[in-house]
Amino acid sequence: MYDILIKGGRVADGSGAPAFVADVALKDGRIAAVGPALPGEARRVIDATGRMVAPGFIDPHTHFDVQLLWDGAARPALEHGITCVVPGNCSLSLAPLRAGDRAAVVGMFQQIEEMPPAAFTEAFKWTWEDFPGYLAALRRNLKINVAPLVGHSVIRLWVMGADAARRTARPDEIAAMGDLLRQCLEAGAVGLSTSFVDTDENGRPVPSRFAAFDELDALCAVLGEFGRMLQIVPEFYDVDLTIARIDQLAELSLRHGIPTTFSPVFDSHLTPAAAPRALGRVEEQFALGARVWPQMQTRPIDISFSLLRPSLFFARLPRWVRVLRLPLDQRIATLTDAAMAEKMVADVGPDGGDQYMGALIVRGGDRAPAEIVGRTLRDIAAERGEPVARALISLSLEHGLDVAFLAASRGHDDTSRIGPMLAHRLVHIGASDGGAHLASFATYGDTGYLFSEFVRRSGALSLEAAVKKITADTAEIWGLKDRGRLQPGWAGDVVVFDPQTIGRGEERPVFDMPGGGMRYIRDAVGIDTVVVNGEVAWTAGAYTDAAAGAICLLN
Amino acid sequence: MAAEITAGHDGRAELVIRVRHENGVVAPVVLDGETGFRLLAGRGADDLAALVGRSWRDVLAETVLGGT
Repeated sequence: MYDILIKGGRVADGSGAPAFVADVALKDGRIAAVGPALPGEARRVIDATGRMVAPGFIDPHTHFDVQLLWDGAARPALEHGITCVVPGNCSLSLAPLRAGDRAAVVGMFQQIEEMPPAAFTEAFKWTWEDFPGYLAALRRNLKINVAPLVGHSVIRLWVMGADAARRTARPDEIAAMGDLLRQCLEAGAVGLSTSFVDTDENGRPVPSRFAAFDELDALCAVLGEFGRMLQIVPEFYDVDLTIARIDQLAELSLRHGIPTTFSPVFDSHLTPAAAPRALGRVEEQFALGARVWPQMQTRPIDISFSLLRPSLFFARLPRWVRVLRLPLDQRIATLTDAAMAEKMVADVGPDGGDQYMGALIVRGGDRAPAEIVGRTLRDIAAERGEPVARALISLSLEHGLDVAFLAASRGHDDTSRIGPMLAHRLVHIGASDGGAHLASFATYGDTGYLFSEFVRRSGALSLEAAVKKITADTAEIWGLKDRGRLQPGWAGDVVVFDPQTIGRGEERPVFDMPGGGMRYIRDAVGIDTVVVNGEVAWTAGAYTDAAAGAICLLN
Repeated sequence: MAAEITAGHDGRAELVIRVRHENGVVAPVVLDGETGFRLLAGRGADDLAALVGRSWRDVLAETVLGGT
């Protein structure tokens, strides 16, 4: 008897081959059989008629390191069909980490994740220092699979103490870092992450940025013993520096026989040559035998701001710039001056700012009244009987300037350019940053957006190709054993979804972080059921009690 | 030098500076919001248009030297 029988769906098995109607049977946590009208009974039957059945999606760039300690589902990632996440990116992980160094690393995490302090003091107990101890803490209530990276910055911190953020390492320190990395890899780390751009909460470079190349080279030699991944964040704001990093990664890949990956790669109409040039260099390096996987996100980039602090959103409006640069009390006083406000409105144009600001969306999660959250400024202004720019000023003043506005899709937003890049055989779909930037924007739903925008709307990828990109390809790139395909004997990670509706919900604020902290999320759309290691983890719009997640085994 | 606004990785507005080199090559550099604002303020500019034609040394003064 099977544990689960998913009947009559169209199976996109991760290989990229055309989908076919079949049943998928699971037993003892694994795929037992895939085929038409499978005989035999099951404890649970799921009718997938009219639905797609695919391997669970894999998100290779997340910062769920902290959240997983109290939320083993990495919500809402799992309900979007994600059955495996890779935390520990950008040089930061929660282990190995001595008790005395926790405060420093918490500061770095808060800078990246924007997670409230209570998350580190109330939501879990620090029971570990070494990497195996962290994995043991994760395993207590894991609902999603995890392939954790170990962070270069924390490895430096362990070996060098405060000097990790001051200087290059001595040979003996490099050797000690290599030994420590080896222990992490033996415990199950999927690779090492490092960063050339990240900063701590005080704007200081994270420790990994103080490493000389010989240190990174030595650590990659250790990765080479296991064939594991090196993940980096290059100087993505400058394509020439990014290309130099691609060459550096290629050198490390070839010398040590390791896969490497970097993110993010953005496309912008202001720098239209940047992403194509980076991908061109990747092609050249692959042709030479190197493995340098560029990660590209599917979602567009939004601009968000409030009048609480200056934003370059207004950089074409000199009077606005001058006012918003004032100290807060003077800024409020100046905005309250009706004559000044009138001048500011006039500056935006004869339409009162409709074209410039009308499409702005009130984000919520701050002091904005609930009834206007999610609405456009144009709509709100019409209701108030004010010009759009005047409404922005008035609304902000009424709530202590603590009203956030969103200018949607202001970068990485040209589907006609991004679609072909996502479909490129060497582009690794990822870079979601799941679990990070909590108070800035939602990092969830990128896989749904892949299907709604790039499969259904633009046709840049076939559905089967899109599934392959975020399942089998990802598993192969990262060396995840027996994951990413629906075939007998492989892990029972399965997503059942409606190909006509899969997508992502609107961004919305929720207050579900420890201590009542706010974050932005997006709900899943079109996902029916998510199975993790043979147990239904999410179905009919709700989480189950299953806790079948695991630390991924590696090839 | 010319400048335009773009969306940054962290969801904040950033500044794309286009620098024309002596050999005629035009290359973009992206500055984060704080640096961009510091550049505007440091150069006494309230408008992106005021940056056009300025020397690249102005940017270096703000981004590398932290202002003049």
